[in-house]
Amino acid sequence: MYPYEGMFLVDPTAHAADPAAVEGSVRALLEKHGAKIQQLEVWDERKLAYEIQGQSRGVYLLGYFEMPGSGVDPMRREIKIKEEIYRELIIRLETDIPTHLERSAKYEEKMKQDADTRRDRPDRGDRGDRGDRGDRGDRGDRGDRGRRGREDGDRGASAPVTEATNTEAAS
Amino acid sequence: MKRDARSSKKKKKFTKFRERRCRFLRLKVDFVDWKDVGTLQRLCTGQGKVIGRKRSGTSAKFQRMVRIAIKRARFMGLMPYIGT
Repeated sequence: MYPYEGMFLVDPTAHAADPAAVEGSVRALLEKHGAKIQQLEVWDERKLAYEIQGQSRGVYLLGYFEMPGSGVDPMRREIKIKEEIYRELIIRLETDIPTHLERSAKYEEKMKQDADTRRDRPDRGDRGDRGDRGDRGDRGDRGDRGRRGREDGDRGASAPVTEATNTEAAS
Repeated sequence: MKRDARSSKKKKKFTKFRERRCRFLRLKVDFVDWKDVGTLQRLCTGQGKVIGRKRSGTSAKFQRMVRIAIKRARFMGLMPYIGT
């Protein structure tokens, strides 16, 4: 006997019509293969990320049970034949079921906390109008700009001059 | 002497507390839950690709778990194999 976590994706219309019957059939199937069910309930009813069996919505059942390893494969085979169960995911847990549930609860709580702290922070909003900065006043006298070009020789000094005359001539 | 003082100062700067880059280490969880679609989605691109360790900062140990968790979630139709 090993601890397992099992999720079953079932037909949403069948489940809506008679939830007890669908859950009962899953339960019966598990027990038929020697599982001792600790928990089996509807986990969620949600939109699927992609279509499965032509359906875009699905009901998920989540269960925790102990069963002999030899029962898992025959059970999987039988699930494939059943029409109301679209998919199954049976995972052998590394810890026993109470420990796993405890850890899951802790996990959920921590993740929620994390999401909360992040939610408090993200949007810092618009910074708003900065308002008028007022007159910057007179910049005053800029003073003497000094001589243009290099101080030694007049090569540098003469070059811009010719350029200036050229542009003047062009315009 | 002067050099020694400088190097010790440098060391001090390095041992300063820095927050964990890996979100799972930071939160001190024991495993990555494949049913936690919100977190897994954050570790995937819009196209549904898994974000690498370099970008997400996840530690090697947890990245392995993330990888498996995403694959499980995909199989059960909780997450897309290919996003939009």
